[in-house]
Amino acid sequence: MASTAATRTAAGAAKVVKPIFSRDLDEAKRRVRELYRAWYREVPNTVAVFQLDITTRQGRDKVREMFDKNKHVTDPRVIDMLVIKGKMELQETIHVWKQKTHMMRYFYESEEPRPTDFLSKFYRGHDQ
Amino acid sequence: MAASLVRFVRGGLGRSFNIARTSCLLQQQTRLQGSSTETRPTVRPKDAVAHNQLAAFGEYVAEMMPKYIQQVQVTCYNELEVMIHPDGVIPVLTFLRDHTNAQFRNMTDLTAVDIPTRQNRFEIVYNLLSLRYNSRIRVKTYTDELTPIDSAVPVHMAANWYEREVWDMFGVFFANHPDLRRILTDYGFEGHPFRKDFPLSGYVEVRYDDELKRVVAEPVELAQEFRKFDLNTPWEVFPAYRDPKEDAPKLEAGEKAPEKK
Amino acid sequence: MLRLPTVGRALAGAAKGSLASSNPVCTPVRAASNMVEVFVDGKPVEVEPGTTVLQACEKVGVQIPRFCYHERLSVAGNCRMCLVEIEKAPKVTNLFVMYACRVMCPQPVAACAMPVMKGWNILTNSEKTRKAREGVMEFLLANHPLDCPICDQGGECDLQDQSMQFGSDRSRFSEGKRAVEDKNIGPLIKTIMTRCIQCTRCVRFASEIAGVEDLGTTGRGNDLQIGTYVEKMFMSELSGNVIDVCPVGALTSKPYAFTARPWETRKTESIDVLDAVGSNIVVSTRGGEVMRILPRLHDDINEEWISDKTRFAYDGLKRQRLTQPMVKDESGQLTPTTWEDALTRVAGALQSVQGSEVAAIVGGMADAEGLVALKDLLNRLNSENLCTEELFPMAGAGTDLRSNYLLNSRIAGIEDCDLLLLVGTNPRYEAPLFNARIRKSWLHNELQVAMVGHKVDLSYTYDHLGEDTSVLKQLANGTHAFCKVLSAAKRPVVVVGSSALQREDGVAILSAVSTIAQNARASSGVEDGWKVLNVLHRVASQVAALDLGYKAGVDAIRKNPPKVLFLLGADAGCISRADLPKDSLIIYQGHHGDAGAPMADIILPGAAYTEKNGTYVNTEGRSQHTKIAVTAPGVAREDWKIIRALSELTGVTLPYDSLDEIRSRLAEVSPNLVRYDDVEEANYFKQANELTVNQELLAAPLVPPQLTVKDFYMTDSISRASQTMAKCVKAVTEGAAAVDEPSVC
Repeated sequence: MASTAATRTAAGAAKVVKPIFSRDLDEAKRRVRELYRAWYREVPNTVAVFQLDITTRQGRDKVREMFDKNKHVTDPRVIDMLVIKGKMELQETIHVWKQKTHMMRYFYESEEPRPTDFLSKFYRGHDQ
Repeated sequence: MAASLVRFVRGGLGRSFNIARTSCLLQQQTRLQGSSTETRPTVRPKDAVAHNQLAAFGEYVAEMMPKYIQQVQVTCYNELEVMIHPDGVIPVLTFLRDHTNAQFRNMTDLTAVDIPTRQNRFEIVYNLLSLRYNSRIRVKTYTDELTPIDSAVPVHMAANWYEREVWDMFGVFFANHPDLRRILTDYGFEGHPFRKDFPLSGYVEVRYDDELKRVVAEPVELAQEFRKFDLNTPWEVFPAYRDPKEDAPKLEAGEKAPEKK
Repeated sequence: MLRLPTVGRALAGAAKGSLASSNPVCTPVRAASNMVEVFVDGKPVEVEPGTTVLQACEKVGVQIPRFCYHERLSVAGNCRMCLVEIEKAPKVTNLFVMYACRVMCPQPVAACAMPVMKGWNILTNSEKTRKAREGVMEFLLANHPLDCPICDQGGECDLQDQSMQFGSDRSRFSEGKRAVEDKNIGPLIKTIMTRCIQCTRCVRFASEIAGVEDLGTTGRGNDLQIGTYVEKMFMSELSGNVIDVCPVGALTSKPYAFTARPWETRKTESIDVLDAVGSNIVVSTRGGEVMRILPRLHDDINEEWISDKTRFAYDGLKRQRLTQPMVKDESGQLTPTTWEDALTRVAGALQSVQGSEVAAIVGGMADAEGLVALKDLLNRLNSENLCTEELFPMAGAGTDLRSNYLLNSRIAGIEDCDLLLLVGTNPRYEAPLFNARIRKSWLHNELQVAMVGHKVDLSYTYDHLGEDTSVLKQLANGTHAFCKVLSAAKRPVVVVGSSALQREDGVAILSAVSTIAQNARASSGVEDGWKVLNVLHRVASQVAALDLGYKAGVDAIRKNPPKVLFLLGADAGCISRADLPKDSLIIYQGHHGDAGAPMADIILPGAAYTEKNGTYVNTEGRSQHTKIAVTAPGVAREDWKIIRALSELTGVTLPYDSLDEIRSRLAEVSPNLVRYDDVEEANYFKQANELTVNQELLAAPLVPPQLTVKDFYMTDSISRASQTMAKCVKAVTEGAAAVDEPSVC
């Protein structure tokens, strides 16, 4: 019967994960490399356009740090999702939709490190 | 809330169709008897005619697209809902747009619901309007955080920004969307605010920093107490009587109601 | 007089000590093992003879709605809300004909007042039962105003809840409602008597638990009113409990009026530290502010009552607070400063003097964490001068034997004893909940009370043996007439108030009391576990401080004035600048600007008991802990954290950074301090008695400092800062009208 066959395919489709873009890890890694390259090339331009008070070197280190933050991820679908978001950020940067404040947010300048020893926690009034 | 009238599993379609037909007739009789003695003025009266029309149309759609449509139901407020498999978004929406008897050419809304307990936590809801027949239909499908769903933009242009909104707010990825990027949140915003696991206060708060001469974002620190209501009385309560005495009355039990009479 | 005749009491005892059956119940004479089997909605349950229908239902987990019935009060049976339908047993034996006649009437019975009979089937949710409840509810609501939106009970009202669950959903009442004039019964309780449903719980509470026959009913039928008959205050140290007992909004809290709704407050389970009883409380807070304090059930301490000071002194937590560290400048003015500055100065002072020139005095509300931190700090600085403000005789066994300074018989143990001798104490105001326990035992267990000390009103009768110390001497050497009674007692208990031990002849008093106790113990032939000697403390920190090895009393400091004196919440004013050398530095750490802060050179703001996780040991030796309900005001910090921070600056860093770590340090010093809600037994009375040092008793009579209710309200830094407590004192001295405020509604 056609309908039962449809049920089977539908059930089968639900179990096998549907890839976002990449069929396997290698393909996903390729996409990551592409994105990294694009960011790497874009950094000098960004520093110039946004008039950021950082060197290209610092910018590239930051890019590398952002990529390294997710290096434990092995699921190609998760990698794809992160690449999509990274591309989105890149697009926002290239088109200068972002402003200086958004760019500098990556550097956490204004944040004070949370106190770890008892005395400074005591002065700040934070509980441990 | 939504009690289903017609429940189709793609197997015994014709059979249940007949039963449903008879049930509708019987229901009409009960309604006529009931209306003479108005016992529950606060309960919304049933509009059996509209209900039956919608049910019949729902059955028809289900019969036409058995591969994708998993369930059809009419809610207590006479709203037709069609549950479909995520693969069937384009075919079903196209069918509903182009079929002579449907003509749902207008996408009034597209949104999502996050139900974290479900395996596929996001429910994607398409609300369609047929100006030709002055009728509305709701199509629902499901997905999780990582499964892409086909974009409805090729069928309805209106879906463009709605899908961007759902992407922004829930993080559901729409495949083949022409311009999928953020629409509501600020550049650099992390997370998807309409997800149930996103904290109400958010992760960061922004302020203008005088030294840096720009707006900075910092991890949120709540200065004010979070408002939370505790509805338990400190005195004696009667938990045994808290539960309703009998089950809440079924608003419309599609196939079972006629058996009572 | 409420005290039951002996027969009634025996019968009440048969009903398993339940107060509920104190009305004349014809208990069938049967063997105790012969339980009665009844059915609740068809579910069989075995209950003791004499159990009421309501209690039987409770046993199977079915709660019957009620208004007038209260577990700790006698049964009135006048609200009729607990009506249930009974299916009588098929066979009725002759013994029960009387009851059978009543049961055969088809009407439902009041579950709270009706003892069960064999084979009854209690229908708690039948059509007739529901109809009966609906009818009762309709009558109750006929005269009840519909002012829930402006009623303070809204959200925690029994009438509200039960009318939602058991009432009918529409009214057919078109007549006018009865209105009753409000009464002014003091600055604590607000009355809106129109809301009263005449359950008489407050009347029964006043006459049974509080022991003041102030409230009563006047009139009959529709004109029945609760009141004081003449305009007078409801003068009791437990008066606030009628607010909890009242099922509707007729009696509400005056200080809490219109300030918060119960559902928007957060509840933190904590304990009270305003006396040494350690009542369990719930602190209701909203937006970082304590809105009110309610009792929490603890059968061994406070049952479900708390004293008025516990309940209403919370507004003192918002006034007179120390919110910033302060340092005295050149002109002698205390100026606010930062923690760094204040702590560095203290650390510098501590480093610049010898260890023996540093001393500390701790007050009555210090928690064990702060105590142990302070002791560790001073010990590391080679100082042993750590004292408590409250005196305790140190000669002889002193505080080395724990049984010497505890209320060994425990609070609940009073219910088992048959003779109580109070020495130099007024438990009614020093420990109101302990007094309530004595009254309960006096009322139900035929407890005989005797007293040496000033004659005061204890809300029950007692043999007054005199207030002179000579009476103690006579009692100790067996020449007093009362000694016969004492030796005849089967389970005697002797309680000496800590106020009596503050005298110069405290050693002699303690040894005399110890001898009396030892003699009574020997003559009564009571079993080994029974303890006779008890000390009733007045401040919450004392037992923990003595457990941790603090010296009691500041004599050592007077004799050997230190260069640096650290006051940890010491507000009793037992030491002043005049006792110290001119150049000495006084550091005050505490939460209120009371007696200790003005003479200090450096002030370190600490947290009050609602703002810290603190361990306290009550007078029984039961360790309990408070929890953080609100954050401390300003930059005030928890006591132990201040001392820990100070230790780091002084260069003798204490080895604990977190609450868990300091609690494990507490466990090292004295393991009982962290065994929460556990009473650590102590039993060295004989040894303690042998170690006593001879001292002559002074002739001065034994007069406890709190004699009347006006001495009760303001005893510590929190209650002294409380406006409500000040109003109470004013109302007691000048009459309730003096503090009357125009009521909003």
